[in-house]
Amino acid sequence: MTTRQRTTITVNGTRYEREVEPRLSLADFLRHELHLGGTHVGCEHGVCGVCTVLIDGCSARSCLTLAVQADGAEVTTVEGLRDRESGRLHPIQQAFIDAHGLQCGFCTPGFLMTTLELLRDNPEPSDDEIREALGGNLCRCTGYQSIVESVRLAASRLRG
Amino acid sequence: MIRDQLPTSQVRYVGREVTRIEDPGLVAGSTQFIDNLALPGMLHCAILRSPHPHARIIRVNANPALALDGVVAVLTPEDVRRLANPALTAPAGWGTHCLATDKVRFVGEPVAAVAATSRHIAEDALELIEVEYEPLPPVATAAEALADGAPLLFEQHGSNVIQARVYDWGEVDRVFAEADQVVRSSFRWNRVGANPTETFGCICQWDLADNSLSCYGSYQVPSFWGLARSISLNLPANKVRVISQPMGGAFGGKGGARATDIAALLSRKAGGRPVKYIEDRMEYLLAGFGQSWDRHYEAALALTADGTMTGLRVKLIDDQGATAEGYGTISVAKPLAAFTGNYRIEAARYDTTLVVTNRAPTAPYRGYGPPPHFLVLESLVDLAARQLGVDPAELRRRNYIGKEQFPYTIPSGNEYDSGDYAAVLDKALALAEYPALRRRQAEARTAGRLVGISVVSTVEPGVFDWNAYATVGVQGVGVPEGVRVVVDILGNVTVVVGFNLQGQGQYTIAAQVVADFFGLELGAVRVTTAPTDLAPPHFGQGGSRLGVAVSSAVLGACRKLEADFRRVTAHLLGVPLDEIELMDGRFRMKSRPDAGMSLAEVAGLMLGRSDLLPPGMEPNPQASCVWTAPGRNAPDDQGRCRSYLTAANATHVVMVEIDRDTGHTEILKYVVVDDCGTRLNPAMVDGQIQGAIAQGVGAALYEEYVYDGQANPLVTTFVDYLMPTIHEVPRTERDFVVTPSPTTAFGAKGCGEGALHTTPAAVICAVNDALAPLGVALTETPASPQRVWRLLRQAGLG
Repeated sequence: MTTRQRTTITVNGTRYEREVEPRLSLADFLRHELHLGGTHVGCEHGVCGVCTVLIDGCSARSCLTLAVQADGAEVTTVEGLRDRESGRLHPIQQAFIDAHGLQCGFCTPGFLMTTLELLRDNPEPSDDEIREALGGNLCRCTGYQSIVESVRLAASRLRG
Repeated sequence: MIRDQLPTSQVRYVGREVTRIEDPGLVAGSTQFIDNLALPGMLHCAILRSPHPHARIIRVNANPALALDGVVAVLTPEDVRRLANPALTAPAGWGTHCLATDKVRFVGEPVAAVAATSRHIAEDALELIEVEYEPLPPVATAAEALADGAPLLFEQHGSNVIQARVYDWGEVDRVFAEADQVVRSSFRWNRVGANPTETFGCICQWDLADNSLSCYGSYQVPSFWGLARSISLNLPANKVRVISQPMGGAFGGKGGARATDIAALLSRKAGGRPVKYIEDRMEYLLAGFGQSWDRHYEAALALTADGTMTGLRVKLIDDQGATAEGYGTISVAKPLAAFTGNYRIEAARYDTTLVVTNRAPTAPYRGYGPPPHFLVLESLVDLAARQLGVDPAELRRRNYIGKEQFPYTIPSGNEYDSGDYAAVLDKALALAEYPALRRRQAEARTAGRLVGISVVSTVEPGVFDWNAYATVGVQGVGVPEGVRVVVDILGNVTVVVGFNLQGQGQYTIAAQVVADFFGLELGAVRVTTAPTDLAPPHFGQGGSRLGVAVSSAVLGACRKLEADFRRVTAHLLGVPLDEIELMDGRFRMKSRPDAGMSLAEVAGLMLGRSDLLPPGMEPNPQASCVWTAPGRNAPDDQGRCRSYLTAANATHVVMVEIDRDTGHTEILKYVVVDDCGTRLNPAMVDGQIQGAIAQGVGAALYEEYVYDGQANPLVTTFVDYLMPTIHEVPRTERDFVVTPSPTTAFGAKGCGEGALHTTPAAVICAVNDALAPLGVALTETPASPQRVWRLLRQAGLG
């Protein structure tokens, strides 16, 4: 297990080159190698969706993806949402605050990344389409209703 | 009520739907949950767990693990026998060491542990540890625990019974003998649990020079766990420092007593290097703090011919699991706080037997006991309505405690503060369009569909007190919750509390009160958590109390500051003290409101110009207030006392449809009306309700910790433990009634556990309403498709 493999991953626009063990998950790579702690880990078996990131623009479970599998990929995490210069929150993040779409906030980065993908592909989703898109993310606090409202609010703000 | 408490001409925050000050860090991903924290030189812990439900440990050899490159320390049963004490429990004597020493009592019980330079290496090392077991016959169920000649989990007690007690409140035998109608049923509530999305985690560092311990972690009740560590690890309490990190949810089920002791002792063996342990989901599901309420009920409700409920008998056999370390025992005691629900029932009996089995120990979960109890009570009320031919809403209304009867003492001793149950019911029935709903049901039934409706009412005991748990051996009256409000030299205000974030939004509640009290912008108030050695006395989240407790404590501290600041102002302006008032953030003269000083001016003066202060006054612009619920008393021999300070209530109207072919239950309509008094932040109350409904739906329809006949757990992942997703949680229609509590500062009542008291009963009662025409009834949770399908088969369908 100790044979390390050279791996190059671009995360939120920055290119990182590291020697990693093949067994290292992408989630652990992001969290512990790159110190991007916003991607959380909830179950490590691909059910809860807390660890969701975008890999080459597609939502994926970073706990089930090995870092070496993401070699050459572009990864977007919750840290990539904020405006880098001003620190201003992304409209999706602000909508989750304004519509009370979070309580403990541990699952929230996963919901934000899934929502980012949804609204990119479908700027005006119906409630059913929102529910379909978020069906793979567990939240134990909110009961989801305010999350649907947050996504709706974000969509309307992004459409301007 | 809010206005009376706050020196402001316009309340801007308290009672308003304001966004939360906690949220920017959470949506940015920058909030420091425990696994985001790393200390220099930190090691990583992995725990070897028992594969057996019940086995004697013959030998543990951890030396091969020590030989692995990167392993720094191992912890064995021999170490903990020497260095630690068994967990304290209530009742006493049903706890074990953090590692099993003589035998294992459940699958997943820690047996040995490793600290290494990475988690991967630590887990590799576990495979090298040799453990020899001699399997013992397991006790798989409560019935087996009580059988003659049953294997014993704790041989020294000579029995698997932790406690057997019968409580008699009023003339139970008489009211049952005189009853015109008695309805009876048995119920089986299977284990469910909290399952926050973040598991437990900690970093422990044992300072070998100072012989002191620091524990960082997702600690729901930091000082409680700190005190317990001082006992389990033989340290003076002032040498244990707990630094609570923000938590990714808790719901009661966040505990790490064993893991903290393990990480602490590994740190000690590793020369004082910090040791991190992060529980994984499989460990949580096997042996974490996530299993609650494993219950067998026999219950009966007595009524007169006119439908007056007169007596309630509940016999409970409660499977606590392998030990009492998780304080699951309290969940048997808590129903005393609302035993007879919303009703004027004059007499009640509670016959309780708490047993140990080789299942995992049970722990607190949101509601902490009453949710299954209300399933029993409300199901009996529905049975009675069916037998009497009365509408279930009407039968409830007839028996409600009247709004004029408060404060109302229930037979089991607690006093409800206020309420208007009929108003809540009326609003719920109107919102649900109840008569139309019943017509829809009749039409559906005619068409052969299995549609059911429930109308369920419950009381939520709010603001717990230790006295509520005296019956299982918990000591004390009063649960102090302290805050310190600090004004700096420039007039910025910080609130120091002893608990950390968990999701309910109590930082925001604290800031709302301060901002309105001193005329500040909400965002200008900072709230911060202090370690246990620096924080005022505190408990934290639990028992639907912190919103009330923290708002009361902050208000108290603000008033103390107001008194000092008025004194400074009066002295400086050369006017009598009673000429100065605080209004809209200014300490001003009553006769000349334009003359006065701002908060910043007074604070700056206190800290920067001691020469101008009143003689003898400390330059100290900060104040502490430690709040505890007023009027609590010690219980009598039947457990009766004024325990929970507030009594919120709710009525849920639910319509479900059961698929005739598969037994799957779909929720067609979900209406909630609740009354938790003043809503300090209505959006946050709403969030608590909807979130608790999701958990209630899980408990009613999906979630279950399944064990086989040998006490082996069959649920080890989220593929087996079915957490409700966005598709299973109903879109609810909600409204509320406000009956302020006369006992709290702003009239607010505890509301954090809320709908979990009501939803399981409401969903199961609706399922049974759907099944009623078939002559079958579901008496076991959850109403999984398989379980319902079996009933349909029994009725000739499916």
